[in-house]
Amino acid sequence: MATLIHRPEYAGYDFGPEHPFTPGRLTMLLDLIRSLGHPVAPVPPPAATREEILSIHDEAFVAMVEALDRGETRPEAERFGLGTGDNPIFPGMDLAARWLVGGTLHGARLLMEGTETRLLQLGGGLHHAQRDRAAGFCLYNDLAVAIRAFVDHGWRVAYLDIDLHHGDGVQSLFYDNDRVLTISLHETGHYLYPGTGHIQELGTGSARGLSVNVPLEPFTEAESYLEAFEAVVPRVLEEFSPHVLVVQAGADAHFADPLGDLSLTTQTFATLYRRILELAEAHTKGRVLLTLGGGYEAQVVARVWTILYLTVMDLPIPEELPAEWLERWREQLGPEVGRTLHDPVPAFDELPGRQERARRNQDVVARLVDSLLRYWL
Amino acid sequence: MLVKEMMCKPVTVIPIGATIGEADQILQSRGFRHLPVVDQGRLVGILTDRDIRFATISLCPAPRSGADSVTLAMSSPPLTADPLDPVEDAARIMREHKIGCLPVLDGGELVGILTGMDLLDALMTLTGVTKPSSRLEVTLMDRPGELAHLTAFFASRQINILSLLTYPMPNEAVRTVLRVDSNHVRPLAEELRAAGFTVLWPPPKPWRH
Repeated sequence: MATLIHRPEYAGYDFGPEHPFTPGRLTMLLDLIRSLGHPVAPVPPPAATREEILSIHDEAFVAMVEALDRGETRPEAERFGLGTGDNPIFPGMDLAARWLVGGTLHGARLLMEGTETRLLQLGGGLHHAQRDRAAGFCLYNDLAVAIRAFVDHGWRVAYLDIDLHHGDGVQSLFYDNDRVLTISLHETGHYLYPGTGHIQELGTGSARGLSVNVPLEPFTEAESYLEAFEAVVPRVLEEFSPHVLVVQAGADAHFADPLGDLSLTTQTFATLYRRILELAEAHTKGRVLLTLGGGYEAQVVARVWTILYLTVMDLPIPEELPAEWLERWREQLGPEVGRTLHDPVPAFDELPGRQERARRNQDVVARLVDSLLRYWL
Repeated sequence: MLVKEMMCKPVTVIPIGATIGEADQILQSRGFRHLPVVDQGRLVGILTDRDIRFATISLCPAPRSGADSVTLAMSSPPLTADPLDPVEDAARIMREHKIGCLPVLDGGELVGILTGMDLLDALMTLTGVTKPSSRLEVTLMDRPGELAHLTAFFASRQINILSLLTYPMPNEAVRTVLRVDSNHVRPLAEELRAAGFTVLWPPPKPWRH
């Protein structure tokens, strides 16, 4: 059983109707969970304070966010990644982002107090935000603020990022910190944002070998993805022996996501979620803090994250989507939504080149493990 | 991009009166492969770790010893570059002569050295990821206005172009590689296709149209 963290104020993190990172995704998700007969009673967290944001971000950056939030015009905003196509300015953005950070941080506190072991933050996962820069829809890095709190508590933290995109913000914020292991599985940055996440990015100084990247070929499917996951993640966790696992559970590696080309299905995500919980049992006494993340196809993210919810709550996964929910969201869901919670099997026609992709992924994993072994021996 | 931006300076040199053994010591201890030889500050030759190996191995018909003068192993006179040369001109000289470095002279004074490694740095600077960004490859026709058409597309969407590289392809086409400050690379590729551009990367999704 997991404890849920969420509050209605999360919906304020809204870049506007044209932007893919829309809070409508969360509304549909919560409605689906409720429509399946589960009363969602989350813990409402406090907003993160300015000081808590400053545990990760530069004062100049936070001051810039606040100034733009007040409606001031600052020509240098773009240098901080603000007012761009990816991160438009909107009134209330400082507090909206602090609500999200507060949620992830509150989850961390409950874990440190020892009252809970499994937490699902229904929001957050803003893994691209950097020390002095907003990036890729992410304003403040909630994951990094939580990880910082764990580190200050004396814990070793393993961060696992299954979002489609490389978890570059979290990686760079702890690149030289030997108390933090970051693992990111993502579509290769050959053309996908943010362009980083190569196997050669291994960390620096005493943290060399604690930054682990598994870049996967576009159109990688379940079998090859899970093979890469199993070849790397359990082994690295065993080596690092963390106190807690922080998971960015972005859903945009799904095949129907409009922003990327990894080709996972809801069944792959279900397998991944179960494995993540098993790995937490094996390595962190079950302590795990999961957040949401990317995911830009409405009919997909509601289903994928409902499966995440059901899995962490130890609930069975039903076959059918509730008719009332389908009816209520018909317009947003579009014609591609079926009648089942899981994707149909097969979900899509066989993609040419599957074996070639699997082989390339195996090669990348082998090279990664070779480089990591040097730092583990 | 000019030679002076990518060259290494200051340069470690060895005087003409030094021995091969002394030169070898410097190359090994400092991890260099190229050592300019100077006579009263004036460049007279280049000595590489490979020159030393060839001059001293027993397979050589008349092997030199570590006590011999560096002049017996160095190449002279060396090919050089000017600090204001474009880096691609220096690369062409190095490639044509199959050599690993060019000492950089400014009015006869040795001011730097450009090696193959510096050219790799130049390549990484030109093509690499300096900020979070997405990469697109577009084929343009080799005629005036094509690139303007492409950049106007991004300007109209308020998307910053972080780097742009073009190179010729067969069939009167120019391959254009862009890094753009946007997380929407796939929707952008679709919009570019709809606007009539030929987008090579990212490719269309097999199950979408």
